[in-house]
Amino acid sequence: MARKRMERVVSTPKTDEAELAVLLGRSGLKLTPDQVREILPGAEIFRAMIARINAPLPREAEPALTFDVEQK
Amino acid sequence: MSEFLTIAEAGRRIAAKQLSPVELTKMHLERIRRLDPQLHAFLLVSEERALADASAAEARQMSGQRRGPLDGIPIAHKDIYNTAGIRTTAHSKLLQDNVPTRDAHTVKKWVDAGTVMLGKLATHEFAFGGPSFDLPWPPARNPWNTDHFTAGSSSGTGAAVAAGLILGGTGSDTGGSIRGPAALCGIAGIKPTYGLSSRAGILPLAFTLDHAGPMAWTAEDCALLLQALAGHDPEDPASVDRPVPDFTAGLGTGVKGLRIGVVRHFFETDHRASDATRAGIDAAMDFFRKEGAEVRDITLSPAADYHAVGYLLMVTEAFALHAPWMRERFMDYGELFRDRVALAATVSGPDIVQAVRRRRVLCREMAEAMENLDIIVSASQPGEAPRIDALTKWTNMEKPSFTMPFNVTGFPAISICTGFGAGGLPVALQLAAKPFAEPLLFQAAHAYETAMPWRDRRPAMAG
Repeated sequence: MARKRMERVVSTPKTDEAELAVLLGRSGLKLTPDQVREILPGAEIFRAMIARINAPLPREAEPALTFDVEQK
Repeated sequence: MSEFLTIAEAGRRIAAKQLSPVELTKMHLERIRRLDPQLHAFLLVSEERALADASAAEARQMSGQRRGPLDGIPIAHKDIYNTAGIRTTAHSKLLQDNVPTRDAHTVKKWVDAGTVMLGKLATHEFAFGGPSFDLPWPPARNPWNTDHFTAGSSSGTGAAVAAGLILGGTGSDTGGSIRGPAALCGIAGIKPTYGLSSRAGILPLAFTLDHAGPMAWTAEDCALLLQALAGHDPEDPASVDRPVPDFTAGLGTGVKGLRIGVVRHFFETDHRASDATRAGIDAAMDFFRKEGAEVRDITLSPAADYHAVGYLLMVTEAFALHAPWMRERFMDYGELFRDRVALAATVSGPDIVQAVRRRRVLCREMAEAMENLDIIVSASQPGEAPRIDALTKWTNMEKPSFTMPFNVTGFPAISICTGFGAGGLPVALQLAAKPFAEPLLFQAAHAYETAMPWRDRRPAMAG
């Protein structure tokens, strides 16, 4: 049976240009302020996706973290 | 010769010695010369290779040594499939001089099946979204209206099949890159089950979401193409070692008794599709009911949940692959690819773990939903193709995708044409099934296509 549909409320803090520049720099991308500003609108949308992913999970979500010693 | 043939029909005529593979190939080369300057579907036309392949196919035809239904059939490959001795660029400046020494596993399988390779097809840079106007080659255009988008990233394959430049081709699908162009170009395209077809020798975008599959005018043709594409390959760690079923076995057997679940909230509330798209799905469900299938609505998690998991994993896996070049040659990428993939820098380790855990929950949810069903139905795209100049680099993030759920879960899904919208461009639906149940998808899609008039209409420009 399909599960009951549950739409969650996802709260998303605003993305800050300075914070984005730090994160991009920390990942090794050396970008100009203009290049950072080009990415900012996408970072805003992406932040909402990340918030959605971090909504509480049921305990049975744990198996994704196991390791199978016999896998290829 | 100017008619449009399907692979199935061309194969029958070649087998009966009523059709010359060389003449068929020359006709398609002429169509490419005539139409591709407007479509930009091809990045490279391999005329010499095509004529050599066709001559070899004709020799086998005449000596009774034909290799099967694809022998002598003109095809082309998305330009992320490695082709030995033939440039493979991923539509990117970074690989514009890249000439592989080996064929991708899937390319070799189609060579072994006797296909005639006409060239390499436009994608979007490294198979991620599109359209881009700052790459070494322009984006492909939609043959139903060249002011409009093809969707992506298997854009060249979608355009080339719809315009009759090839009879079939390869695509790849990480978030919908086969099913999107199939939908907007009015053709059929299947993303097989994860692991059914090898990705070895195909330039990756995101390892856990990438799928290789065929695109063609009909579902039957996709079945014939997938038959020669599927199979175990030890060089792809995700490749499954299990017998390949006969994908054409269920064609013509109808849909009586099939249990079909419609994920209506995906395309009515989560991301409301156009009137024509929704009407097309409703008409298809009426058809399936009339033919004896059981049809009911089902409920899954919001499409946005699937989209968020898929998108986060896609950009982080892509960044893991591209980080060395992104750090040193950022501006050599097109703006769309570099700015989207750079978003991976904003993802933390716990975010990735949570995405993987949520993916498991969504996979289980879909498997449970499918326990008492054979097929799940949704939209493929929200409507007709938009104008190619109406899209921004963030368009594909703003609303949830209908195709991503089946990349996240790895379930097989096919897009087929359900008619035309108010703008005269195609609309489509998507059928999905349990893992390795591709024969059922072809069975249902073929039943629908052969009962409807949509396969009789080609883009006006194709003549």
